[in-house]
Amino acid sequence: MVSVTSLPEAPGTERPPARKRSWRHRLLRFDLHYTPYLLIAPFFLLFLVFGLFPTIFNGVVAFRNWRLDDPEHAGWAGWDNFAKLLSDSDFWNALYNTFGIFALSTIPQLFLAIVIASVLNRRLRAQTFFRVGALMPYITPVTASTLVFDVVFARDNGIANWVLQVLGYHPDTPLDWHATKLSSWIAIATMVNWKWTGYNALLYLSAMQSIPRDVYEAAALDGAGPWRTLWRITVPMIRPVVIFTVVLSTIGGLQLFTEPMLFEQNPQAATGGAGGQWQTIAQLIYKVGWKNLNLGYAAAMSWALFLIIVIIAAANALITNRLGGGRSK
Amino acid sequence: MKRLMTRSLRATAVGALALVLVAACSGKSTQTESKGDVTLKINFWGDFGLTQLKPKYEASHPGIKIVLNSGEYNAQHEDLQKKLVAGSGAADIAAIDEGFIVQFRSQADKFVNLLDYGAGKYQDKYLGWKWKQSLSADGKTQIGLGTDVGGQAMCYRTDLFAAAGLPTDRDKVSALWKTWDDFIAVGKQYTAKTGKKFVDNATNVFNPVLAQQPVGFYDSSENLQMDGGPKIAFDASVNTIKAGLSANLASFSAGWDQGFVNGSFAVLACPAWMLGHIKDTAPGTSGKWDIAAIPGGGGNWGGSFLTVPKQGKHVKEAYDLLEWLIQPEQQIEIFKEVGNLPSQPALYKDPAILDFKNPFFNNAPVGQIFSGTAEGLQPQYLGKKAGPTRVAVENVLNQIQSGQVKPDDGWADAIKEADKAAKA
Repeated sequence: MVSVTSLPEAPGTERPPARKRSWRHRLLRFDLHYTPYLLIAPFFLLFLVFGLFPTIFNGVVAFRNWRLDDPEHAGWAGWDNFAKLLSDSDFWNALYNTFGIFALSTIPQLFLAIVIASVLNRRLRAQTFFRVGALMPYITPVTASTLVFDVVFARDNGIANWVLQVLGYHPDTPLDWHATKLSSWIAIATMVNWKWTGYNALLYLSAMQSIPRDVYEAAALDGAGPWRTLWRITVPMIRPVVIFTVVLSTIGGLQLFTEPMLFEQNPQAATGGAGGQWQTIAQLIYKVGWKNLNLGYAAAMSWALFLIIVIIAAANALITNRLGGGRSK
Repeated sequence: MKRLMTRSLRATAVGALALVLVAACSGKSTQTESKGDVTLKINFWGDFGLTQLKPKYEASHPGIKIVLNSGEYNAQHEDLQKKLVAGSGAADIAAIDEGFIVQFRSQADKFVNLLDYGAGKYQDKYLGWKWKQSLSADGKTQIGLGTDVGGQAMCYRTDLFAAAGLPTDRDKVSALWKTWDDFIAVGKQYTAKTGKKFVDNATNVFNPVLAQQPVGFYDSSENLQMDGGPKIAFDASVNTIKAGLSANLASFSAGWDQGFVNGSFAVLACPAWMLGHIKDTAPGTSGKWDIAAIPGGGGNWGGSFLTVPKQGKHVKEAYDLLEWLIQPEQQIEIFKEVGNLPSQPALYKDPAILDFKNPFFNNAPVGQIFSGTAEGLQPQYLGKKAGPTRVAVENVLNQIQSGQVKPDDGWADAIKEADKAAKA
């Protein structure tokens, strides 16, 4: 960052006398003109190899028949894989699940994050402790936390069921969190929320700290309470960060894989529950590719997911922009 | 001053980048092997009993180094599949389970044809069906040589049986359940007396019953046949659920493992390789388990093969090692070490197997029990899609157990789901 921003001033300040144009000068010119590119090159090289190439290759595979268990059946498939997608009840079920879990996780998560951030933005005792604490779930490996949550949401002797009992919910048989759509969605959304709320809260907090104090003082003089201040001043003023987190959560939520995968009692199946109650699209892609060994169809699904994410992320960004009172472009 | 700092910083960064790039590009070339030293990597899961054999082979074959790479069961198969697609990176010897062998058999061109190296001479030594399982469809390519077979038996808790007033002697228990209907009747007695569940899961009734049928999910021309074996197995499972015998614990889940320790179920269909899992999961139940005959008699569940992927650099050396591993002396040593039953029937007469008693299982003569079931076996054809189809039908059983599907609607669902899996 420093090197890039300091570039323009350089030619004027350090131009050597014309006659002493030496290798040193040329090195400097090289440094000025090409070093920035050299420095950003690693990202683009890596992106080319691990981002762009797989995406394009995946797109090509999507139009081919490629079955690992049937090597003879290969060749161009045209739009067949995509046509199959439209009538595949598994795909629509997975899409429905993905959006269900997405809604249950993203909305409460970002809402909570804003509230937490505004609390952390006040003067608190042990401020650093709370801020670091908010980030703890984020640095916990998702596999570890999911396995713990798996115990929490166990049918027999699970903590979640114990809590329900304490709260006065006494069913005849213990609630089987894995059995129905709603219960399994709630369980998985809880894992996602736990992990990402603190992370988003810290993003909001850093944005909030750049809001000038006098705005709040003016609002306070006008008699605005903390709740009103939060939604009328804070949120509109950190709108760019809100949009950023909405887009990130959309991408993450629609690609949800590890949590539903490990929530499964038999991960080998990758079916997302006995009746596909919580099978997400990412999980279905994995199942079609590596369990059904139908790589062509899995590639078509991946591309469909990619397009869905682009559309939804764009829509969400737009909506958030409007909600935040973003008329003033 | 600041200017100087940023410049030196920039120089350092470029230098570091250059270093990283150079290092990244030269990763391959620095990995030199001293000439004549061959490293053979074996990929497998769980415990194949190779730890003791490795130094033995290395001592008698100077210049050969063996790397044992034990991983998770599914991960190893998936890894092998990915490496086969990628064209490099597979182990020199890859173990493949019965459940995956059809999938890999249909990619026979990616494996060394062991017949080319003279493996044909071992054909008569193997159980006929075991030899055929890893043979390509045209019968010309043998991709693997069998290690163990599962066989089938019924493990039961003598202490829980005694508490329920049932006999505990293994011959008397075997006599209790000649058929699966008898088995369910015994279960009802147990549950009525103790109020506890009898079996771990209805799927663990489904699988052993299916394994005993002459035709499984698919006939030998790959047509889905739900009305034969699968229907019989499904009915037995639904009857088990209706009788309230199932603890509804998914196999190999955390709850299942807890079930061993807590005594959540009293019986478990167990192939030879399951013994090790029980012992490792619930060491505290030592001496409380025993092994009786399986209702209905016979059947096989699981068992593995060792294959040589073609992409390996030391195919010849890998075959030599593979050939050594399947020799009787080594197979018997593996059996003694981890209990995996060899797939060469001549060995079943060997006193080392015939007289072996397992103290964890109340000194049950495991060698005799399992070899008996393996030898009398009707080979069953496992279709290409047998694995996913099994999962689909098991899922219907699980939905019945969790109350999401009515027991009487189950069969229609099972047909629908199996059909979907067959076409997937």
